[in-house]
Amino acid sequence: MSDMNDKDKKNQVDPKENSRREFLKEAAGGTLSAATLAAGAGALLSGSNEAEAKATWGEWFQKNYRLMTDEEKKESVDRLEKRYSEEYGKKTTVDSVPAQEGVLFGYALNIQKCIGCRRCVYACVKENNQSRHDPEIQWIRVLKMEKGNFLEENMDKGYPDKPGIQVGGNAYQNSGVVLEGEHYYEPEEVPEKGHFYFPMQCMQCEKPPCVKVCPVRTTYREPDGIVVIDYNWCIGCRMCVSACPYWARRFNWGEPNLPAEEMNPVTHYLGNRPRMKGVAEKCTFCLQRTRQGRYTACVEVCPVGARKFGNLLDPESEVRKILEKKRVFRLKAELNTYPKFFYFMD
Amino acid sequence: MKPIIRFGIDSFLYVIRGSAMFYGWLMFLGFFMLLMMYGAYEQFTNGMIVTNYNDQVSWGLYEAQFVFLVGVAAAAVTVVFPSYVYHHKKLKEIVVLGEMLAIAAVSMVIIFIMFHMGRPDRLWHLLPVVGIFNWPNSMLTWDVLVLNGYLVLNMVCGFYYLYKRYVGQEVNKSFYMPLVYISIGWALSIHTVTAFLVNTMPSRPMWFHSMMPIKFITTAFAAGPSMIIVSFLIINKYTKLKIAEEAFDTLSQIVTWCLGIAIFLGISEVVTELYPSTEHSFSLQYLIFGKHGLSGLVVWYWASVVLMVTSFIILLNPRLRRNLTFWLPLACVMTFAGIWIDKGMGLVVPAFIPSPIGEFSEYVPSAIEIINTLGGWASGLFIFTLLAKGAIGVLLGDVKYSDKWNLAGEWQPVVHSEETSK
Amino acid sequence: MKKLGKIAAAATLAAGLLTGSTLLAADTYLDYMKKPAPTDCFESREGYSNVAPTEIKPGTPNVKCSNKTNGVLWWGDPFDGTEPMGDLPIDADYKHEEAVVKPRTGQLKYYAPCTTCHNGSMVPYPKSKAPRALVMHQDIVPDALDLQHGRGAIWCLDCHNPRNRDTLIDHNGGEIQFNQPMKLCGKCHGEVYSDWRDGIHGKRIGMWTKGGKKRWWVCTECHNPHMVQTKRFQPIAPEPRPQYPRTRTNADHERNHGAGHAESAAGTTGGH
Repeated sequence: MSDMNDKDKKNQVDPKENSRREFLKEAAGGTLSAATLAAGAGALLSGSNEAEAKATWGEWFQKNYRLMTDEEKKESVDRLEKRYSEEYGKKTTVDSVPAQEGVLFGYALNIQKCIGCRRCVYACVKENNQSRHDPEIQWIRVLKMEKGNFLEENMDKGYPDKPGIQVGGNAYQNSGVVLEGEHYYEPEEVPEKGHFYFPMQCMQCEKPPCVKVCPVRTTYREPDGIVVIDYNWCIGCRMCVSACPYWARRFNWGEPNLPAEEMNPVTHYLGNRPRMKGVAEKCTFCLQRTRQGRYTACVEVCPVGARKFGNLLDPESEVRKILEKKRVFRLKAELNTYPKFFYFMD
Repeated sequence: MKPIIRFGIDSFLYVIRGSAMFYGWLMFLGFFMLLMMYGAYEQFTNGMIVTNYNDQVSWGLYEAQFVFLVGVAAAAVTVVFPSYVYHHKKLKEIVVLGEMLAIAAVSMVIIFIMFHMGRPDRLWHLLPVVGIFNWPNSMLTWDVLVLNGYLVLNMVCGFYYLYKRYVGQEVNKSFYMPLVYISIGWALSIHTVTAFLVNTMPSRPMWFHSMMPIKFITTAFAAGPSMIIVSFLIINKYTKLKIAEEAFDTLSQIVTWCLGIAIFLGISEVVTELYPSTEHSFSLQYLIFGKHGLSGLVVWYWASVVLMVTSFIILLNPRLRRNLTFWLPLACVMTFAGIWIDKGMGLVVPAFIPSPIGEFSEYVPSAIEIINTLGGWASGLFIFTLLAKGAIGVLLGDVKYSDKWNLAGEWQPVVHSEETSK
Repeated sequence: MKKLGKIAAAATLAAGLLTGSTLLAADTYLDYMKKPAPTDCFESREGYSNVAPTEIKPGTPNVKCSNKTNGVLWWGDPFDGTEPMGDLPIDADYKHEEAVVKPRTGQLKYYAPCTTCHNGSMVPYPKSKAPRALVMHQDIVPDALDLQHGRGAIWCLDCHNPRNRDTLIDHNGGEIQFNQPMKLCGKCHGEVYSDWRDGIHGKRIGMWTKGGKKRWWVCTECHNPHMVQTKRFQPIAPEPRPQYPRTRTNADHERNHGAGHAESAAGTTGGH
């Protein structure tokens, strides 16, 4: 039991961090505490500031984003902009740009180039306002995989070893087995000898299992192929988290810890706006950027240019060129999820 | 209208009055329910961070109870089915107790669903018209439908039957019997849909097999009647209601054969997965043997195997099975515990280990999870105690409609305590 | 209490020294978040693609960098400090798009410019392209007789212009600016050059849109031409690992992955 208590303690929010955040919020004139936001209908009434309480009511009662009229969207976005600006002490914009016509986003990743530096992981975190700790949320996970090594002395070592007919050899070594990758590698330098790296994130499936299982249709596929989540409509049932074969979805187990100075104020309603506790989130191909024409944060940061992004409907785009010139594969293609995230090699 | 109101008041007054032991039992449960109030407060204000859930293992103790208890709820059919289809007289007399158990079990299911939710304040998003109900796409919406439907069916059947007994009339067969038959099919559906909820996700290979629904049903029909048998034995001992041996005989045979089939299905699963030992068997390997040095569930798994196999051996022996004082309750408790592990934590947690991209992790419930789970069970038992007591009162004729009626008078307390029942 | 704290600290330190990895294991993003932001960052190639963080407008930095590795993680303005790419024959596609590059000359350690010394008098012009040991610049090329590029088939003056050291040289003796190394590299690495022009090899940031403005990374922003044979890309320090899942305090089991069939039930046989 004492063991468990230790763990519980560790899971608590760093008090220093918390007080600083509280202070910043106070300084910004925000009286609405994070706890109030999510404590349920009863607690909603306890907001001391009438305007704030009204905003929270408004958020609580708003419709699913997809079903909102343009006015309702505007109202909702304005409400959020006001609240975020106060809460984080800086002018925050919440975009509601819809999908562009003639655009289907696609991604290609050169696993031969990837060196496992994890810069994409943190570019994503800087851009997308994930909770920084407890829970730490990262949308990209990079696996370190073994290139494998076959040893002569193992050639005739059989399985089973002793009496019986040999049904297998021991010369086998792990080489490129996804399920046996390392997630928490921390060497001095990357790439390491004898290894390669395999980043994974949301594959923006054409047939996303996560969308199918959502009981309230809070997650859906946008016309430009991005699977999005209306964070204000999510009930936190985590069916999507279980159903995703790529482990792409993350859950805000507690109120996100996003320090004001780390917050990116350029946001989109369906993208990187700050989330609340108890909702799912995932990669959106940096919707807030890509719908404005900009590359995703992970593409821009990759120091070896392993990450490629573009419009799958444009034959001249980088991704289409890759599909044309290179051999590509998709992860777990046998599941018929049709990811728009391709892996390739030179 | 008058008899209905009186039925409510009479039952209520009957239910709240009892012996010291009765109150003691309720207070014992109430203690855990109070603890749960605290746990729920912690969880609903701070979020699920107070649990030990994480992105790797995103279901845990709560979902384990959820899956298991849906089975218990469905198991009411093991009383209803023989009563009405095979006209088992002795079971028919007490069929309503099975329905009361189903109501209590579904209530627990609802409690654990509330704990499962990240945003319980937004559950209204599921409501038709004001919200969006992603039916028929989402398996969860099917589960919501069948569970609520089952709750309503059991409440209607159960309370209608009790009311008729209360006013001393025969049930209207053209109204009642169709509902009974629907509820028999419906009981199967709630556990089937719960199985579909988990086994339609190829992302979790351990769950992704078509044997899941039948395994769910057989384990449910072993664990559920076990609980019914134990509660009937308690009722026999502590109330004036005497349940006939034939009822126990039928129920214990159901437990025996369903447990036997469940064990057989378990063996089939293990052989099918472990013989080829593909990547998809990693979860099962983790559960049974441990993997990569992580072995948190191994002890639990083998305990479950021992419990289930031993109780099956006991139950196979008719002499032991008919021993209502020791062997049958022992076997029932063992079956119940074994399946609680097997279809609870043993089913839910390993499916998340490894994660779909191969991360091995482990999960241990937090203190808050444990008190909430205890509280959930206490709440269910609390509800069942009250419902069963009221039902027994009606069955015994202690709660009965009469024209001459005053709130305080005439009513005779039923003897519940051990000493006085002898 | 103080004493207890001291003992605990000492114990932690001792444990850390014993295992070595424990000290590293404490370093997640959370730990680095508390450290000061670096004042000098690098984009791809450490030491050769540096950028100083500033504000491009109030509240928006030009770059956000890693507190651990000083690597650039995020660009506020992807075109900060760039200039038009110039007369590059991007014939294959995007004929009309706006392509910019970041000048390389500012990143070259010895570009003073080069002709400050290599002017024919201070350092005489070489008489032949025959390989010889270098007197200076051993920090860039430790052993010029064993140049780590071309496996002995090329030498410095196959790329550097012997008559005008501020430039590089093509097959016909034409001058190539340091800011356009792709023209030089493309001489031999045709297939890579083709991929680069298609945006498959190398890197672009800015706008993904057709015809949108892009900053193209040039060869030497990632590769060190003097040692590509050993290291195509100079290894760099990785960013912090993720936090362990809750209820876990280490990930030792990850390195415990077994070797196929031979793996015992408990997975104790290491596959390494």
